[in-house]
Amino acid sequence: MLKKQSALLKTSALVLCSILFVLVLSCTGKNPKSIVVWHSLRPLERAVLREALDEFAESHPGWQFSELFYDPETARTNFIISAIGGSGPALLRGANDNIGPLVELGVIQPLDSLLAPAMLDSFLIEPLAANTWFRGRLYQIADRIGNHLCLVYNKALVKKPPQTMNELLEMGRELTKDENGDGRADRYALVWNYTEPFFAAPFIGGYGGWIVDEDFKPTLNTDAVIKAAQFIYDLANVYKIIPPECDYEIANALFKDGLAAMIINGSWSWGTYIDNGIDIGLARIPRIDETGLWPTPAVQPMGYSVNINIKGERLAITLALLKYLTSEKIQLRFTKISGAIPARKTAFASPAVRDNEMVRASLEQLLVGKVTPPVTELRWIWDAMRPGYQAIFTGRKTAVEAARDMQALAEKLIRENRE
Amino acid sequence: MATGLGQSKVNRLAYMYTMPAVVVMAAVVLWPFLYNVAISFSNMNLTHFRDWRIAGFGNYTAVLQDRMFWYFFFKTILWTGLNLVFHVSIGVFLAILLNKNIKGKSLFRTLLILPWAVPQYITALTWRGMFNSEYGAISIMLERWFGFSIPWLTTEWGAFTACLITNIWLGFPFMMIIALGGLQSIPDELYEAADIDGASWRHKLTNITIPLLKPVMVPAITLGVIWTFNNFNVVWLVSNGGEPSDTTHILVSWVYKTGFTYFRFGYAAAFSMIIFGILLLFSWNFIKKTKATEAVY
Repeated sequence: MLKKQSALLKTSALVLCSILFVLVLSCTGKNPKSIVVWHSLRPLERAVLREALDEFAESHPGWQFSELFYDPETARTNFIISAIGGSGPALLRGANDNIGPLVELGVIQPLDSLLAPAMLDSFLIEPLAANTWFRGRLYQIADRIGNHLCLVYNKALVKKPPQTMNELLEMGRELTKDENGDGRADRYALVWNYTEPFFAAPFIGGYGGWIVDEDFKPTLNTDAVIKAAQFIYDLANVYKIIPPECDYEIANALFKDGLAAMIINGSWSWGTYIDNGIDIGLARIPRIDETGLWPTPAVQPMGYSVNINIKGERLAITLALLKYLTSEKIQLRFTKISGAIPARKTAFASPAVRDNEMVRASLEQLLVGKVTPPVTELRWIWDAMRPGYQAIFTGRKTAVEAARDMQALAEKLIRENRE
Repeated sequence: MATGLGQSKVNRLAYMYTMPAVVVMAAVVLWPFLYNVAISFSNMNLTHFRDWRIAGFGNYTAVLQDRMFWYFFFKTILWTGLNLVFHVSIGVFLAILLNKNIKGKSLFRTLLILPWAVPQYITALTWRGMFNSEYGAISIMLERWFGFSIPWLTTEWGAFTACLITNIWLGFPFMMIIALGGLQSIPDELYEAADIDGASWRHKLTNITIPLLKPVMVPAITLGVIWTFNNFNVVWLVSNGGEPSDTTHILVSWVYKTGFTYFRFGYAAAFSMIIFGILLLFSWNFIKKTKATEAVY
């Protein structure tokens, strides 16, 4: 009886150990021959990335290369969580305004000692530095510069884009139409995700202000912020040329369906509009008549950062992939489908860029934009703007109250995180 | 002696069987929990992420002194209470209907489970689209049939109601299934005896159905309270991260924002420990008072 029990005990122990072994293996979940790229590219651009990964895989047999889409906020959060836990994708692609928090959390690695100076010299310095350095180290290799908002217009509805806000208001009265007379506009002159601070920022510059000063301190309780917020509010509620409620998806859907003549959006979206058969044109966001200034969208490079946990052979392959994804050839493919401004000097100078009407218009807008520093303070400033700024559109705060509250919250968030 | 040794071996075998579960639970529940307790007493934030140190009860004091905590606590109670009332009443009502001999019973049962079968993420985003004040199906129907529309997503209580409706839609099938299982386990003889005694449907409901459903429903309600109290997905997705103006939050969505948007990790950990305490206290008391773990038959 005891012998039988002992045998049973041994068999059970063996089975349990096997289960534990499998569990531990599956918990680690890492395929050492797998390189994953997280990004926020829309479907058309995603296909280009996929194609590039497949091409790269051909010269690296035995390795697997895959990509995964997340919206920018989710990509950042998930990357932080997974990298802190010792895992995560090898490459993270995004705007450079995440570099500050990612470096401070220690989840991406410096690249300056890993890449040849000649390669780094091949990236643009003007009109803005393409690669991102933070606290003296290099953390992001760019595949494009810009990531800025432009005025996109449907050429079938708008022959010549407005140059000033007064022109926009005048055109708006013509273009905004209530065709069936039910009191609800069936077409709007302009749509965009105007309740999101990033999309409202150009107007602040247009009124002569900005969201952050040279010492990375918030500058939100200013006349420029108040006037910009009030103007956007008036576009929806006084002039009624933009919808009273409009998030990113609604704006995009209205423009794609021809129910909006113009949209303010970035280079990531342009390819999708073309793919939907819309004949689009790009222009600067119209000048503010009161100040005579052009609105100033936030301008940032977009590119790839390397996970801190990638080491050894995986790091070597990851760096090779990074070079390939930021090569002239791949950058020009993105330019072709979406009008993205390439970050390599040779690609930037190529006829494919010089003769591209969309890229030229995008560059025109970029030249009046504001380059945003990759500091963490900026993240808190964007986040602090959201509650106060949105309260204007819900009628809970005036623009003056909102500006005061945005400034107070930004200062509070910075203080709480720096103490 | 031999029996004692045998017993000890049997116990060892039992421990071996439970060991994988114990190891996994310790790795995925106990260790993160203890780590969370530690950082809840620390100054961990973006600046002190690697070099954090224990800083006492400061985070707990800060949470309890924060006006937002009490505001979102009130909203969470309201959110949980309203959801549970609707989940249980709709669920039990539909279960009673389905427990009768009606035509197409299995079809109705399948249809009514559908909201539960669709992934929460998809349901939440679909409802968000339907709540758009100008282009959403709900607003269009309201305006067409009743001549008014509601700015669901741009007002504080409109957004709260939108989240509530979405979660009621998602939550009632669970209660319905549990109640249906409970109803089917009630012996018919009890109703037949009640009929012989001339009991009305109300008497049968209050003296047979409800008492015999209680042991099934109380654990389901307890689970429902915990899930709803912590239902991050619906609130976050329908309100697009707390819009408008960070007013549409419950405690868990706010703690997520504090941790992963504002990077106040120590504060967020203390906040989550307080949420844990609230839920532990509630579950303990609720189960004790309702005697849900005691046998009824």
